Amino acid sequence: MLKNNKNILIFLILICLQFCIITAPDWLKINGITPCWPVILLLPFSLRNSRLKSSIAAVWLGVFIDSFTIDDVSYVPSLLLLSVVWSTYRLHNKKIELFLNIGLMAILGTAFVGFSIWIQKIFFYSVLRNNWFHSWSIFVLISEVIITGLVAPFFSSWLLLTYKKN
Amino acid sequence: MIKSRKQIAFNLLLRGRFWVIFLSGALLFGIRWSKGAGYLDLYSVLLKPILPGTAQREWIKEGDNVERSIRLKLLEEDNTRLRRALSLKDFNTGQRISAAVISRSSRNWWQQLEINKGSKDGVLKGLTVIGPGGLIGLIDSVTPLTARVRLLTDPGHQVGAWIDRTQHHGILTGMGTNRPKLIFLNKNSLARIGDAVTTSPASTLLPPNLTIGVVKSVNEKALPSPYAIVQLTASPEAIDWVQILKNNAQK
Repeated sequence: MLKNNKNILIFLILICLQFCIITAPDWLKINGITPCWPVILLLPFSLRNSRLKSSIAAVWLGVFIDSFTIDDVSYVPSLLLLSVVWSTYRLHNKKIELFLNIGLMAILGTAFVGFSIWIQKIFFYSVLRNNWFHSWSIFVLISEVIITGLVAPFFSSWLLLTYKKN
Repeated sequence: MIKSRKQIAFNLLLRGRFWVIFLSGALLFGIRWSKGAGYLDLYSVLLKPILPGTAQREWIKEGDNVERSIRLKLLEEDNTRLRRALSLKDFNTGQRISAAVISRSSRNWWQQLEINKGSKDGVLKGLTVIGPGGLIGLIDSVTPLTARVRLLTDPGHQVGAWIDRTQHHGILTGMGTNRPKLIFLNKNSLARIGDAVTTSPASTLLPPNLTIGVVKSVNEKALPSPYAIVQLTASPEAIDWVQILKNNAQK
């Protein structure tokens, strides 16, 4: 039914992503923190496509997911950088479909996205600079990394296999 | 002889009606002088076990409530009049919109709620959102059918607040946790643990005297200014219904 990778990504972003973000089911949370869905969706796409396509997808995904949050900081810069890194990784490493490898990449990607948001928050809100090492940030970062690391091996691997079949 | 006369006189006095008349007169004088106090006291003592009864107690309470509500209304009207005279924001309890929470992200990078009332219902950006317990946040963005509430706990979110007891102003800053930080504007905050934190009566953005929380701890030595950690009275994680106050919109 879905003919190519682009259609799969469009379908997932327009239907599944917002559903996951808005409903945020409790059984998919750790300490109230949901997985980093853009990383989970972007990772397999970047691993199967060129830098340009991945970058465009990252910007699109980032802009889309930014619309569901308060307008202060953005996902776009970190996702853009990750898409470039993962696309480059695809060119140099053939064994990307390993189960744990995907999970590890998602964990590192989520940590990077989390750090990016954290730094942007500190940059935009001067009051957070007084004590920038917040327990809250560490809490969110670690919880998000863990839950993304648990979900990504299943979801991203399945997506990667689907892209390969197409 | 003399002795026997005295005895006769004494017996006559004792046995005669003189004492009866004297005592009756004294009693009457006493009652008149005390205005029947003895009778009334006795009457109240006798009625004490049965008055006020259950019904009477209810009447009294009802009367008390009515009197208080009238007084409250008069005071509110007085307060509104004075606030208008000073060009301050009103706290109009009649203009509220009730809304249900349809999505919640109270512990993530962004701490927000989505509610099921939007611009079609008159919700505008900047309106105050309260829940059971007090202030929970402000409207951040609006769609025709929904609105996004930025919680007080959202990192970097700042609103003006004050401690009523000391009348010292501060800026309530979200730190990501359930306990935002109240950064005081004065060097000496005089705040104590347990002090109530409310919106400032002098605020031009928020309605006055909305409960925000209670001071949990105070750091007087902090630089550049002292701060207090505030425990919010309204928990965003447990609230399913909120109310939007329609009087401080940014049109």
